[in-house]
Amino acid sequence: MKKNTFYLFTGCIALVLLALFWYSVELHTPLLIEIGFIVAIIAIYLARKRVTDIIEDERTARITEEAAVRTFQVFWVGFCALSIGVVMEILYIPSFPRDHPAIHPPQMLPPRMLGYLQLGLLCLMIFLYVGFRIYYARKYGEWETDEE
Amino acid sequence: MPGNTENGRLMKNKIKVYRAMHDLTQEDLAHATGVTRQTILAIEKGKYVPSLDLAFKISRYFNVNIEEVFQYSDAVRTIDVD
Repeated sequence: MKKNTFYLFTGCIALVLLALFWYSVELHTPLLIEIGFIVAIIAIYLARKRVTDIIEDERTARITEEAAVRTFQVFWVGFCALSIGVVMEILYIPSFPRDHPAIHPPQMLPPRMLGYLQLGLLCLMIFLYVGFRIYYARKYGEWETDEE
Repeated sequence: MPGNTENGRLMKNKIKVYRAMHDLTQEDLAHATGVTRQTILAIEKGKYVPSLDLAFKISRYFNVNIEEVFQYSDAVRTIDVD
């Protein structure tokens, strides 16, 4: 498989996934997009193994590696900070004020709120990774031009 | 063109000269050494310092010693022993 064919194939899969996501939202069946996502990743992985052109070498591997490490280094701080907040919410014990003896049930984070939180973390991770990838790609001459 | 190594020293190379001597394009050399053309360009411009493996592949392709193609300069940092 040629390099451009692979990129075209990946683009088509992304479009199918987008359609599947929308369909999944409409039908409110999260399992559909979850299975679709796993199948898509496997399909891309298998297609990548069949590419005959060189699309990855030690420089691109290094860009990926450094971007991934930096993303992890920054992301875990935000992730841990938010996780500590959630743990505090779980461990919260309601107090019983003498003036107002009415007992309030402990407030837990609703699942929808956790979903938004997770979406935010996912966006943060993608944003960090793309940013670091651009930085390291520039550093290691990804967009250098030559007279040749 | 010199490229900075991780300890701040300079790594110079003569790939462009050897390519011209052998009448090779970046694409040809990239294909022969199993990397992308962009990697050869980045090495030539000093943006990327190749691994020892790739440096040996390149020098062997030109049938010369590795030090004839790549020069490790310690001009950037010098340590005073005294």
